[in-house]
Amino acid sequence: MNDVRVMAPDGPDYPMGLLDLEDPPHLYVIGETTTAPAVAVVGTRRCTRYGLNLADAFGHGLSRAGWTTVSGLARGIDAAAHRGTLRGEGSAVAVLGSGVDVVYPIENADLYRAILRSGGAILSEYPPGTRPDRWRFPARNRIIAGISSAVVVVEAGEKGGALITARLAAELGRPVFVVPGDIDRPASIGCNRLIRDGAHPVLGADDLLAELELILGKPPNHVPPSEGVIPATGLAFDDLPSIWECTPAEALARLARMEIAGEARRVGDLVLPGSG
Amino acid sequence: MYAAATSVALVGGEARPVRVEAHVGRQSEAFKLSGLPDTAVREAKDRVRAAVASAGIRFPNRTVTVNLAPADLPKGGTDYDLPIALGILAASKEIPPLREAVVVGELALDGAVRPGSNAFGAGVLSARQNVPCLVASSVVGESASIPGARAYGVDSLAAAVDLLREGLGNVEPAEPGPPIVGEKVPDLADIRGQPMARRALEVAAAGGHHLLMHGPPGSGKTMLARRIIGILPPLEIEHAVETAMLWAAAGRRRGLVVTPPFRSPHHTASKAALVGGGSGNPVPGEVSLAHRGVLFLDELAEFPRSHLDTLRQPLEEGVVSVARRGSSLDFPASFQLLAATNPCPCGFYGDGRRPCDCRPAILGRYRSRISGPLIDRFDLIVRVGRVEAAEYSGPAGEASAPIACRVEHAREAQLRRGQINRYLDLGDGRESQPAGRLVAMAVGNGVLTARGGDRVRRVARTIADLEEADQVEEHHMAEAIGLRGEWRDE
Repeated sequence: MNDVRVMAPDGPDYPMGLLDLEDPPHLYVIGETTTAPAVAVVGTRRCTRYGLNLADAFGHGLSRAGWTTVSGLARGIDAAAHRGTLRGEGSAVAVLGSGVDVVYPIENADLYRAILRSGGAILSEYPPGTRPDRWRFPARNRIIAGISSAVVVVEAGEKGGALITARLAAELGRPVFVVPGDIDRPASIGCNRLIRDGAHPVLGADDLLAELELILGKPPNHVPPSEGVIPATGLAFDDLPSIWECTPAEALARLARMEIAGEARRVGDLVLPGSG
Repeated sequence: MYAAATSVALVGGEARPVRVEAHVGRQSEAFKLSGLPDTAVREAKDRVRAAVASAGIRFPNRTVTVNLAPADLPKGGTDYDLPIALGILAASKEIPPLREAVVVGELALDGAVRPGSNAFGAGVLSARQNVPCLVASSVVGESASIPGARAYGVDSLAAAVDLLREGLGNVEPAEPGPPIVGEKVPDLADIRGQPMARRALEVAAAGGHHLLMHGPPGSGKTMLARRIIGILPPLEIEHAVETAMLWAAAGRRRGLVVTPPFRSPHHTASKAALVGGGSGNPVPGEVSLAHRGVLFLDELAEFPRSHLDTLRQPLEEGVVSVARRGSSLDFPASFQLLAATNPCPCGFYGDGRRPCDCRPAILGRYRSRISGPLIDRFDLIVRVGRVEAAEYSGPAGEASAPIACRVEHAREAQLRRGQINRYLDLGDGRESQPAGRLVAMAVGNGVLTARGGDRVRRVARTIADLEEADQVEEHHMAEAIGLRGEWRDE
């Protein structure tokens, strides 16, 4: 269905950040890559509701502001960050520890497809068909760190991939942002240690955006959704009044006209473009 | 020596007169009671005898026969204590004849008069037959609130005897009691976010429309539903009386409460509890306790299908017929239906954050439970999404008071046309041509079913009323269509 491309370190569209690595790998890619600066949002799979909500909020906030976001398509924080990005109609990049055509874990298959539909990208250094072996994941983290201009760790336990990503990012000189948590909560131990060791604590999506702007400058310009057109990733039903800047009554009327014209349909919380 | 008094029985929530005939004979002491009394009425004998003694009056040591007529009407409860006592005292010439006065009240052994449950019924008969009525003084305001009723309150049998000896014509009847505002209901300001569901609730309240809310667990559907009472207009006095009499027929006391009733039966409720019934004298069910108010069915898909089917008649006609020994009895049941449901058994179907892990066959079966005929009865169908973490700390929502004000304005326009828009005759809607074309297009391309189209047109009239518009315009109709979101069986 989607073509797999190969990007070589000396190619024209190879992500600049990866050249900071000691061994810039060849990359297999599905979807659209951009050279715009990206921000990684990572964390543990064994996360809490607190972490899920914040990962979603960061993904959403970053993409609304115009940042591309990067994560690892893992369960938990990674998936929430991707979903938040899609909700914000932003560009999501997923870096896999398997071949780009091997979806792991399988429960994120929908998310995998949604990222591609929305114009995001799936990356991996492993050839198509490569199985998701455990030992490959730490290596994948150095790509996440390299490709990003900053890394946000939402929740991390005592050890795990997110801490590896944070350490690698720091070694590459990327700013590392960390969400503080209760000091006795297993899913926040790693985060709180990073803060003790000098990482930037972040106190919410707005705080993160302000810090990023100070350190990295303004994000690449974000194009707001054009009037009346619903992006492929859909819009949240309850967000329509704020997106369209009108009253709920007007938003409902406009939505109905679009439904009658076959330009929109509702699926659960989402409003998607018409099927026709 | 014979005398009679009048009392009240509730049949289908309506007051019917009951004659209480008393005869004191010459034979030796006995006390007989006839006329289809239930256990509570049969026990009146003991209470009456004790109360009369406590009032310091001699109870006739002769054969006392009391008959309640008409005999085919089942009689229950303790309201007949006072008329039986006064009938006997009149028959034994202790007090003057009662003539037509309607008497209702329970007697305590010390002679005190307790309210019983039929104060409103006594008032209704008093007004209808232009006769005085005698009830417990604690509820005389309820009887007196019926226009045309002449109500007298007594707090003991002795006081009743004194009053009757003095003659009711020489005493001023009681003043109508003040309307009671029910307990404070939670405010819509507590609800953050949910702009669409809030709008749906306002429109539903303004037109008395039936509303279905669907969404994942914890999204606040029940919180929203409970807050509709705070934005509905108070009941007219006559409607408050109607509702209170239905409650009385179900053995529940409800004073002159003008806050509309809110009933929320559990999905395990029996069919009789829901629509009324029971052996002997049929008792009104939840649909009638919610008369002039709101019936809220939480977890709609969990209700047995056969129970939901019984809602069809009250939803269409505003009354419910309860089978009763070879005939049937009608109870008023004109309520606004609010319902909430999860979209699927796990609750996360259509949720952007969490995948639904229901098997397709189970999902289909669950969703089809609320399908076709049932879904067509809802005027508004709205998705209630999960509130974003960021919104929890956001500003409070609009409070109930200003919404209630808009709702009341919209209701006034409807009452000038004669009825609330839930029952609007579509010919009276005054639709502009573009509005009519829009709804025809929506039905034509399957966005709405034909019946859904009719529902939407009534809702559009309500939206126009909220805007104080004379004619239904295209944008009113469009919003009404937007407020009837899909519910597909997939």
